[in-house]
Amino acid sequence: MALLKREDWYDLARTTSWTPSYVSEEVLFPEEMSGSRGIPMQVWETYDEPYKTSYPEYVSIQREKDAGTYSVKAALERAAFVDKADPGWVSTMIAHYGAIPLGEYLASIGEARMARFSKAPGNRNMAVFGMMDENRHTQLQLFFPHANIKRGRQWDWAHKALRTNEWAAVAARSLFDDITTARDAISTAIMLTFAFETGFTNMQFLGLAADAAETGDHTFASLISSIQTDESRHSQQGGPALKILIENGKQAEAQQLVDVAIWRSWKLFSVLTGPIMDYYTPVAGRKLSFKEFMLEWIVGQFERQLLDMGLEKPWYWDILMRDLDSTHHGMHLGVWFWRRTVWWNPAAGVTPEDREWLEAKYPGWNKNWGRCWDVITDNLLNGREALTHPETLPLICHMCNLPIACTPGDGWDGQDWPLEHAGRLYHFGSEVDRWCFEINPDQYKGHQTIVDRFLAGLILPPNLKGALKYMGLAPSEQGQDAHGYAWIEKFRAAKAAAA
Amino acid sequence: MTDSPLPTLKTWSYLSTGARRRPSEYEVVSTGLHYHTLDQNRPWELDPNIPMAQWYKRYRNQSPLRHPDWDAFRDPDEMIYRTYNLVQDGQENYVYGLFDQFNERGHDQLLDLEWVRFLADAYTPSRYLFHALQLGSAYVHQMAPASTITNCATYATADHLRWVTHTAYRTRELANAFPGLGFAECERERWETDPRWQGFRELVEQALVAWDWAEAFTAFFLIVKPAVEEAVLNQLGELARAHGDTLLGLLTQAQTRDAERHRRWGVALVTMALEQPGNREVLTGWLGKWVPLAEAAVEEFCAGFPSDGRAAAQRAKHAMASFRGSLLLAASHLTQPNLDQ
Ligand SMILES: [Fe+2]
Ligand SMILES: [Fe+2]
Repeated sequence: MALLKREDWYDLARTTSWTPSYVSEEVLFPEEMSGSRGIPMQVWETYDEPYKTSYPEYVSIQREKDAGTYSVKAALERAAFVDKADPGWVSTMIAHYGAIPLGEYLASIGEARMARFSKAPGNRNMAVFGMMDENRHTQLQLFFPHANIKRGRQWDWAHKALRTNEWAAVAARSLFDDITTARDAISTAIMLTFAFETGFTNMQFLGLAADAAETGDHTFASLISSIQTDESRHSQQGGPALKILIENGKQAEAQQLVDVAIWRSWKLFSVLTGPIMDYYTPVAGRKLSFKEFMLEWIVGQFERQLLDMGLEKPWYWDILMRDLDSTHHGMHLGVWFWRRTVWWNPAAGVTPEDREWLEAKYPGWNKNWGRCWDVITDNLLNGREALTHPETLPLICHMCNLPIACTPGDGWDGQDWPLEHAGRLYHFGSEVDRWCFEINPDQYKGHQTIVDRFLAGLILPPNLKGALKYMGLAPSEQGQDAHGYAWIEKFRAAKAAAA
Repeated sequence: MTDSPLPTLKTWSYLSTGARRRPSEYEVVSTGLHYHTLDQNRPWELDPNIPMAQWYKRYRNQSPLRHPDWDAFRDPDEMIYRTYNLVQDGQENYVYGLFDQFNERGHDQLLDLEWVRFLADAYTPSRYLFHALQLGSAYVHQMAPASTITNCATYATADHLRWVTHTAYRTRELANAFPGLGFAECERERWETDPRWQGFRELVEQALVAWDWAEAFTAFFLIVKPAVEEAVLNQLGELARAHGDTLLGLLTQAQTRDAERHRRWGVALVTMALEQPGNREVLTGWLGKWVPLAEAAVEEFCAGFPSDGRAAAQRAKHAMASFRGSLLLAASHLTQPNLDQ
């Protein structure tokens, strides 16, 4: 064979830094974009990405991956799984597609930030493949839902959601912008690739793929597990950057970046992924509970990676462990209650079998969350549907932009964590959200939550109708109970039998 | 879900405004993706005055090159991810086929030693230059005001990494065949100090700090790249053929296919910009700033050719000028090359 092996020339392709002289290094790599933190160029040149690939391998492998993914879609299109699927699963897909594709596109900008401004040449090259990967993820996750566009207006939200001021879209942007596009290259390597992609994309793309396979949605399962193969490659850009920071006395700063990114990601997942996994997906399709997925991917795998790297568990780890039992149940209740304000149809997911499953996975669920659902169920059984819709706005956290949730019933722990900063009063859903703000107030201080905008008179008329309009939700887009309340019939039957 | 006055859609509502025809797959997956252009005062869902918000407001939203609807831009090639990989996998099979065959027939051993020394000076340091193009394209990617422009820059960034990779590959092969000539060791030093490269180095260092998105696009895609492509791909490729280096001639020709694609969307973007009053002046202003630097770079590079460097530089400058002519900018002093030097 007369071809060289990749390792013969790979190092040359990533030996690309030079000493500029027509402009200074500081001008060519501005600190606000580069984030080299005073660590010299020669040190960044020691960056060694663990997962190596090259241009010819990339285009060949990716071509094959796409051939596979698109042909699964084509082969299964006629079966029209979506028409037969449980409405809860359809909601899962619609919620996922609204939150993800434009976020993927944003991630390609984060990759481009590294590709241009990282002082580590290996990072700059790998990020080119990362830019390409995220371009792929955007296009796949627009092309697939677009095939369903005739099935209802909510499918339009795959493209539309992040372009609106719908509250969950605001919360998603608030996280994505913070860890993806609004920071320097090295912060991006750590927050986006190390923290978010190593930790959380496994949850969304492998956890949900497992549920999809169990549910029988093989198109979705093949799509998102193929996406994860790219994530598992480009997420490895953060590790070597962390190593350089730690070796050069920047451990505390690195730890903080990781801690903020993990907490903020967790909060968004608690409202999007938690309800999907524990309530929308039909019981038979739930491979693991949301908490079990979190324990496997975040606590089991990611925590070990943190420690291997020489970092510590985030200081709030005990709080997170506690919240794994509660936060997403509260979020789910809130989303279902305010269902008209989301672009998907939340499934209540509280039939007797669901509740049995929930009690088994989250002992005590019935005496906390169950009591709220008892009231809702009772109202629905007695023709008081109007009472199952809210009349007020929730309090919104100034960090995660999500409702300040708490555990009702016996475990009542409702608490606001306020902070006054530069003459303005902020509210937070937890002490960790407040901590994220306190260590870096400039990043967030001038931001207005949806409630701030309401109070500032930006939402008119100042009522639910005005809010829905502001959020871009027309009647046929607003969420309804996914099953049209069919799930209460089992309770009615049980009641009748008991009477 | 369909119980309302909103009609059933055939495509995204974003693409449904009055459109008669069904959008292509390209449009479905490429248009309207930069949500951060919607509120010009607050690009990110964070404090509106953080450094990164100011960067985007200043260098993207307040660019002197203006258009009310950059999102209307369409890539004439309608390139999407999956077709990109199809096309480039084919192109790479061709190039690695060349590497394989020419290696098998002992191509490098048949080269004239003087030519080989010339390659160490004037060819293998090009990976730094190509890398600078990679950086410049990645910048245009993150700053462009429309996803359809960003996508073009995405694929261009990957193409430039492709060129870096080709050079790295050939550098190692030449180092294996000719130990002791500095291959794989002296490229950085030559890039930093050899007079033939200093014009290009100055050009790219300056262009890399042109922070305005449209100036970065103009500098890289309308001026720097055409200069590199005409001098370092085409003229060097011609010279290689004349010196029996068929492989380099064929390689640069293959790379030119990428460059042609970049020029097609570059022309389309300029054509769109020129719909708006005021943009012609902005663009000609930038051309006036960057063309002299680029021509000087071409001259310095070609001056290092073993023979006929002047003529090669003239040909390169003519080709650059005729490309600028195709941009319909019609300011003659900017589209005519400076032939006095
Ligand atoms: Fe992705
Ligand atoms: Fe990713």
